[in-house]
Amino acid sequence: MTPKEYTFDAGYQPQVRARRGTREIMLDVIIALLPAVAVGVWQFGFAALIPVATSIASCVFFEWGYRKLMKKPSSIGDLSAVLTGLLLAMTLPGNTPWWIPIIGAFFSIVLVKQLYGGIGKNFLNPALAGRAFLFASYATIMVNWNGWLGSVDAVSTATPLAQLYAAEPTAPTISMLDMFLGKMPGCFGEVSTLALLLGGVYLLCRKVITWHIPVSCFATVAVLTLIFGNGGMNHVDWMLYNLLSGGLVLGTIFMATDYSTSPVTARGRIIYGIGIGVLTVVIRYFGGYPEGNTFAILIMNCCAWFLDQLTQPRQFGVTREDVKAKKAAAKAAKKEAKEAAANG
Amino acid sequence: MPFKFHGGVHPDYKKAPDVPVTFITPPPQVVVPMAQHIGAPCKPLVAVGDQVTMGQKIGENEAPVSAPIHSPVSGKVIAIEPRPHPLGDMIPAVVIENDGLDTPCTDLAPLTEEELNDQDAILIRIREAGIVGMGGAMFPTAFKIRGGLGKVDTLIINGAECEPYLNGDHLTMLNHPEELLKGIQLARIASGLDKAYYGIEKNKQDAIDLLNSLHPEQYGVEIVPEEVKYPQGGEKLQIKAITNREVKPGGLPAGVGCNVISTQTAYAIYRACYEGVPCFERTLTMAGSAIAHPVNAVCRVGTPFSYLVEQCGGFVKEPKKVVLGGPMMGLIATNLEAVNIKGTAGILFFTEEEDRTVENPTCIHCGQCLTVCPMKLEPLYMYKYFQKRDFEKMQQYHVLDCIECGCCSYNCPGRLPLTHSFKTAKILFAVRAAEEKARAEAAAKEAEHK
Ligand code: SF4
Ligand code: SF4
Repeated sequence: MTPKEYTFDAGYQPQVRARRGTREIMLDVIIALLPAVAVGVWQFGFAALIPVATSIASCVFFEWGYRKLMKKPSSIGDLSAVLTGLLLAMTLPGNTPWWIPIIGAFFSIVLVKQLYGGIGKNFLNPALAGRAFLFASYATIMVNWNGWLGSVDAVSTATPLAQLYAAEPTAPTISMLDMFLGKMPGCFGEVSTLALLLGGVYLLCRKVITWHIPVSCFATVAVLTLIFGNGGMNHVDWMLYNLLSGGLVLGTIFMATDYSTSPVTARGRIIYGIGIGVLTVVIRYFGGYPEGNTFAILIMNCCAWFLDQLTQPRQFGVTREDVKAKKAAAKAAKKEAKEAAANG
Repeated sequence: MPFKFHGGVHPDYKKAPDVPVTFITPPPQVVVPMAQHIGAPCKPLVAVGDQVTMGQKIGENEAPVSAPIHSPVSGKVIAIEPRPHPLGDMIPAVVIENDGLDTPCTDLAPLTEEELNDQDAILIRIREAGIVGMGGAMFPTAFKIRGGLGKVDTLIINGAECEPYLNGDHLTMLNHPEELLKGIQLARIASGLDKAYYGIEKNKQDAIDLLNSLHPEQYGVEIVPEEVKYPQGGEKLQIKAITNREVKPGGLPAGVGCNVISTQTAYAIYRACYEGVPCFERTLTMAGSAIAHPVNAVCRVGTPFSYLVEQCGGFVKEPKKVVLGGPMMGLIATNLEAVNIKGTAGILFFTEEEDRTVENPTCIHCGQCLTVCPMKLEPLYMYKYFQKRDFEKMQQYHVLDCIECGCCSYNCPGRLPLTHSFKTAKILFAVRAAEEKARAEAAAKEAEHK
């Protein structure tokens, strides 16, 4: 063979690319969730895997079906639908009837994700939006915590968060250590702070997420609850209980950092995290609805794009002074224009 | 201590500096393009039928931004005609039949002891020897140094060689350390400075140790070991690493008092001044999965790629791409009859194995591109507005300040053609500017008419 026979690709610069694509990233997040899934099974029994399975299967099905119907290229290979399904199931109680996640999956995948163009284009977190929808539509099923294996009497089946924010706040009947490990009633994937933190550390090490959102969000919740406290309880205890309960850890590490719905700039992410923290606390204190984190994230989702615009990073070679000078110049120009207009 | 810069990536380096340097026997026919630099192309000084010697000047242009071209072999000129240029297009070239004797040309004598300390003599020699930026930019070196006189207070030699695969600079350091230091000294004298900094990535520790053992301070050179991170060798980032100065957007290195020249350029300066040999040879790397063995080679300019492939034992797999330079910033050749030129630091023959493009590139809004962009730009938005051809927004997101390093595309999990789009965007901007200028001129003419 003589070399002349070859035809060559024009190719795109750069000619090499990192091994990691969307699919590998999604897989990493799924891996990071596995410890929490394991704790869920430990706490709610193997039966709790049924809603997980239907959730994943229906998410993948809806994603595939919608794209097929719309004659768009299939996107189930990127595993994002699997992840959405898993995340959705993790925010539901362990004893959810098997058909509930299917409704949630339809809402998440079709209405929240695909209608806006699929991965990367939706502005609400699909799993959380699905959860919020289910909570609003099937309230009684969604707060039925009796599936918890540790439930022996009526008292222990109230979630710690509900106890904290009851009309007469009491310290949860469950010890802080048990809460940390995940021995408490709650949603399937939310209970174990330890398992979720493990997953978070994994994601940080793999550079799937950056520290900005989780750290700023946790810090905000911690500071606010420490300052404001609540009736009679030691402020530090109050803060720790708040951090450990109500899906805050799952929401902050896995939902708030969702790519499509969070800002991309570092400063934007910090503001976003603080916003979620503030809203979570506000909703918990004043909303009469303890699961404030879900709504806090959904509200901040809507601001993500705006935050990106607001926090354009300073380019290489541009100093703070340059930015200030530019702003001053722009202001002066505006003023001049105004004056010119005023003077006719 | 070198300073850090934002972003950057750690590509799979795949370097093989332990492959010894082979000397590629010049081919029976060399094709010397008359454009091997940025600036005015050369006019041939010879005619068909002329006998030439190795190192004889065969192309020249009086313009300040230009560099003469010398014959890489001795022999007979058999044609002067457009031939495939490595960067596409047909460009006039002098085709020389090699007589295999390598009879040297004596036009350039080694500089005398006195001249070696004379700024002007060195600068004239650098120009005469046709030395250009051999890292790939191919900017005429003499013009670069002259342009910086009075403005530049720091001379930086770029020894990062941060591109994967390439070993040419590393091997030059290992094989010619003393010559290299002397070359840097000459560049320093030519720039009228007391000190030069030689930034080398720490993955070349053997070279750093070797150079340090030769007392670089005698030559007014300080070796600065640098963090291993692509694109450490980018001009702006090299300056940042060594001086902590940041070149302003749209600015030039001289604007912050720096000049950066590459390792092999410094070596070429040594050869031109001490040995009287002009620039027609360089060390390069040939690699990629399409050829059996990677080769580090000293190779004359004007050697056709097809001949080089033969020298590497031919193809073992169907090649899909020929990359000139490193894989991150390298350009694509589409014709194996094209030849290597002064700025060719590597020739990579890639198959499907290296390819990781996908059918539906989709942005997942992950922000990885922001994390890695050394210019702190926002590639995802630049891309978005590029697709809409929204020029105003593109400018707002500073497309024109992209250094085309490729980090964002490299890391993008959605596999978007980011860097490629920005290059295209810059061309579109240039076209638009030209159109506007033409329109303004036409309007001015009309006004004059009235
Ligand atoms: S190619 Fe341009 S936009 Fe992309 S990382 Fe490099 S400088 Fe930034
Ligand atoms: S790295 Fe690629 S997928 Fe991620 S935000 Fe940038 S362009 Fe989008």
